[in-house]
Amino acid sequence: MWTEAGSCAPESFVRPRGKSRRLTHPVNFPGSVPPAKRPDRQAMIAAQGKNTVSQQGLALRRSDVPLLGVYALAFGLLHWAAQPWGGAGFFSLWYPAAGLRFAVLWQRGARLTPWLMASELCVHWIIGAAPLTGPDVLPEAIGALRPALAYGLAVAGVRWLTSRGAGALTMLPMPLGIAALAGPVIAALFIIPLALLRPDLPGTGIHLSLVISLTGFAVGDMLGVLVVAPPLLWFSGSSRLPRDGILPRPGALISDGAILVACLLLTMALWRAGLGLQPIPSVLAGAWIGLRHGRIAAWFAILAEVALFLPYTAGPVGDATRLELHLGIAAVVIATWLAGSFTDAQTAARAALDKRNRLLFQAERLKTLRAMSVAVIHEISQPLSTLAIEASHLKERTGDLPADIAESAALVDRKARTLSELVRRLRRFGSRDADEPSPLPVAMLLQTVRQMLTAELHEQNCRLQITPVTPDLTVMAQEIELTQALVNLARNAITASADREVRISAAGAGGEVHIAVANRVAPEAPLDGSGMGVGLIIARTIVEAHGGVLTRKDEPGLVRFILTLPLSGAEA
Amino acid sequence: MNAANIAVLDDDEDLGLTVARLLVRNGLAACAFTAPEQVLEALPACSIACVVSDIQMGEMDGFAFADALRARDPAVALVFMTAWPTTAHAVDAVRRHGGLDYLEKPIDEARLLAAVTEGLGWSARQRRIAETTRAFTRREREVFDLLVLGHSNKEIAERLSISPRTVEDHRAAIVAKTRANGLAQLVALSRGETN
Repeated sequence: MWTEAGSCAPESFVRPRGKSRRLTHPVNFPGSVPPAKRPDRQAMIAAQGKNTVSQQGLALRRSDVPLLGVYALAFGLLHWAAQPWGGAGFFSLWYPAAGLRFAVLWQRGARLTPWLMASELCVHWIIGAAPLTGPDVLPEAIGALRPALAYGLAVAGVRWLTSRGAGALTMLPMPLGIAALAGPVIAALFIIPLALLRPDLPGTGIHLSLVISLTGFAVGDMLGVLVVAPPLLWFSGSSRLPRDGILPRPGALISDGAILVACLLLTMALWRAGLGLQPIPSVLAGAWIGLRHGRIAAWFAILAEVALFLPYTAGPVGDATRLELHLGIAAVVIATWLAGSFTDAQTAARAALDKRNRLLFQAERLKTLRAMSVAVIHEISQPLSTLAIEASHLKERTGDLPADIAESAALVDRKARTLSELVRRLRRFGSRDADEPSPLPVAMLLQTVRQMLTAELHEQNCRLQITPVTPDLTVMAQEIELTQALVNLARNAITASADREVRISAAGAGGEVHIAVANRVAPEAPLDGSGMGVGLIIARTIVEAHGGVLTRKDEPGLVRFILTLPLSGAEA
Repeated sequence: MNAANIAVLDDDEDLGLTVARLLVRNGLAACAFTAPEQVLEALPACSIACVVSDIQMGEMDGFAFADALRARDPAVALVFMTAWPTTAHAVDAVRRHGGLDYLEKPIDEARLLAAVTEGLGWSARQRRIAETTRAFTRREREVFDLLVLGHSNKEIAERLSISPRTVEDHRAAIVAKTRANGLAQLVALSRGETN
């Protein structure tokens, strides 16, 4: 029920929006975007999620109906299961239903808020927690609607803040942790105006029982959210787990376990010494475990603490003691969870930095390579000038000599000319000069692409089949950029080709030209190659800058990219 | 050597000689140099009309050489060639240093020949203009320049703040010095055209 198609994964939803939209226009993403390239896919998910949200708003989708049914059932059960931890002024100091509510809102988005409110109210009516008749109908109903509304506001608020800017607190997965704390706090604060409005409660202003009620509510909800929501979100796949999976390494397990046991023993010792149940040792243990091993370890530590203490607090202890103990447990749980989130955020930030460093390194290498090729072109062009002039002279003077000499001279001259032409083209490609759009015959573009790839084709033992193009196909384009786009596509195709052949064809239709770059792939071959997908992104950016689109139209066993550009003079 | 009125300047001796031979084959008189100083030294002896110069050379690059050359003889035509073409250089070569063309290596022969031929013609015209106006005083030169632009005596007098009478005197001196008979011929002279 958690992983239906079309659901947008929240953690990947928040981040890539701003960036990917700047790079590529969401509207230009057709359904045929390559599934293998991660950035494109994320951008697509982001774009889709955005579109559906804006189109449908708060409306209920078909996939939500069974979810709401299951939600109501599970909510009722968890609500009922929380009774042993109740007390005067608060319903329960351990409220797992809040975790379920938070997980659903975080995974499906705050748009479900009204529906969860309605479903919770129904549950309250059915199990008799809220009366259906009498003078208390309205206040009790409002009380039942309050928490879901507060959670919805917390989730929406944190999402909004995260989308606005990057800071230490918006680094994934910190938003989840903050929202998990903000929900219970906002819900508890909502009690104040409601309590002031109720005529049956004695006195106005902040009464002592109100403070207890607020605290009890917040503590119960926080415990419920932090214990129940993380595994639900992990299993629904919407919260990304760290790379190494859910199972901790044996070494980490032993050391964390030892720390936990040591701190619990310390707690016991303090208790025996008559100091009461002090949360400090467990707070330290939890913070240490979270900081060292991230959220997963933190959650298991939380689970261990809760499993140890909740059975005890469910027993016959006084309300005041229960509240005090649960405050301590809440402090432990919050510190542990935030420490774990912070560590995971740091890990994610480091990974992002590493990736950027690799890209930078690659860019640096490309720059060096470019400088080197410019130097090589210069070194070649100097002697080539001499060679070309002398070869042409030889050819002229040997025209009336025996045929084999004349032919040799003509051949040398021809080759020198070809080489000169190649050097000029290469130089134009490598130069930094502004590249003005000009009408370019598609046939010439493809010819340049072939020249640029000659060495690579030879090295990879690959053939490039260019279907003859009618000479009247002309596009208005920046030659260097468009050549770069085609070279990138062809280069990807060469790398991925299963039968060592790449086919390029071009055809005009209705004021547009479609240039297709295709290669056969083995059906089970992995789709992502050795590159980082940068080439494709660059190609797409260039094509879109030329008012065209780059689409992928595969057939079984065939990968084909189609570059669609307006023909020049088509509008005239 | 004296007959060579085209200098090919490139620090790559082979290329310089090749280009010079190419020009010679096409009926032009050319000779190769490998250093800018050699060309500047040879300037007084040979009547060089056109220099085909590389841009990236050792201590003195093509542009510095162009400035030195212009300072010595403003009537020499310049054609640049380079293995490192950039738009900025191309613009500089033509605008600031008075190059007639900016050739990319490997060199396009037809374009080189066209540029050199144009350069020779330009240089010859410049020399004839210099020849014509050499005998003029400064004032006479000013009057001459305005005259060939089609201004009347009265307009010239106003522009130069002198009396029309003085303009007439200058005009008589100009005609006497150039031995031209009529304004049309003066205009032709100002353009370096042969009579």
